[in-house]
Amino acid sequence: MNPGPKVVFYLFGNQNMPVTDTLITAWVVVLLLLVFSLFLRKRLKIIPGKLQNAVELLLTAIEDQIEPMLPGMGRSMLPFIGTIFIFIGVSNLIGILPLVPSPSGDLNTALGLALVVFLVSQYQSVKVNGFWGYLKGFAEPVAILLPINIIGDLAKPISHSFRLFGNIVGGGIIITLIYQAAPWLIPIPLHAWFDIFIGLIQALIFGMVAIAYISVARSD
Amino acid sequence: MTQFSPEVIDTIIRAAALLGAGFAMIAGIGPGIGQGYAAGKAVEAVARQPEARGNIITTMLMGQAVAESTGIYSLVIAIILIFTT
Repeated sequence: MNPGPKVVFYLFGNQNMPVTDTLITAWVVVLLLLVFSLFLRKRLKIIPGKLQNAVELLLTAIEDQIEPMLPGMGRSMLPFIGTIFIFIGVSNLIGILPLVPSPSGDLNTALGLALVVFLVSQYQSVKVNGFWGYLKGFAEPVAILLPINIIGDLAKPISHSFRLFGNIVGGGIIITLIYQAAPWLIPIPLHAWFDIFIGLIQALIFGMVAIAYISVARSD
Repeated sequence: MTQFSPEVIDTIIRAAALLGAGFAMIAGIGPGIGQGYAAGKAVEAVARQPEARGNIITTMLMGQAVAESTGIYSLVIAIILIFTT
């Protein structure tokens, strides 16, 4: 029993470009979201139908989470934070299907998203403080804390990605163990708990922590 | 001095790694206490100010997520110890 991603095939036959099952699931999730948005975009109306209403409610809820922590940036940060939240949420929910590995149960997916958040937060810091102010921010409050500040900044994407990865993989391992002990009926509430509840909460937390990192980077 | 065969040495390493994984998960105590404390304080806050419920729950979840990181680190270390040795 190995919970890690399995290599399905190699891209262009190149041994350095393995394509894993989690990567394929991530592509499927991206494709599903793309098709859904294109489908919805064609049917946009001034007076929204039921589906459009639900999506608008979700987007407004995300914007309301961004606005208090990044004042005046709710609308401009909505595409970024909303994409992260919806992608992670759908990837966690897709893990409920049997034999489909959740893309966020792979450290590569989580670390990739966390690195994007890290780059955006650094860019925002440069934008607010200027390049010189950004460099000076590492030597505050005293210059001797420079290495600690740099390590503290580099630790952020690691803890950010491990939080998502650990939660999803831990839930997956517990469900696999329960399947070996009691394969019928008993795993159903566990699936509901680990895949639906924990999955959505973790997607929310990943987005919230991303907002918090960007807001911290803008303030100092 | 006795010489162990390679199989015995491998078994000892595997047993030590599994024991280490068990010991690593002792770190689960800390996040448990921290999250319980945060949830208790959030209940007190909601009881005092029921109208601020949404904000309190969001703040509680954020704090719990950050408190959880140490437990997640130990879980990752335990997974590495179990599945890679």
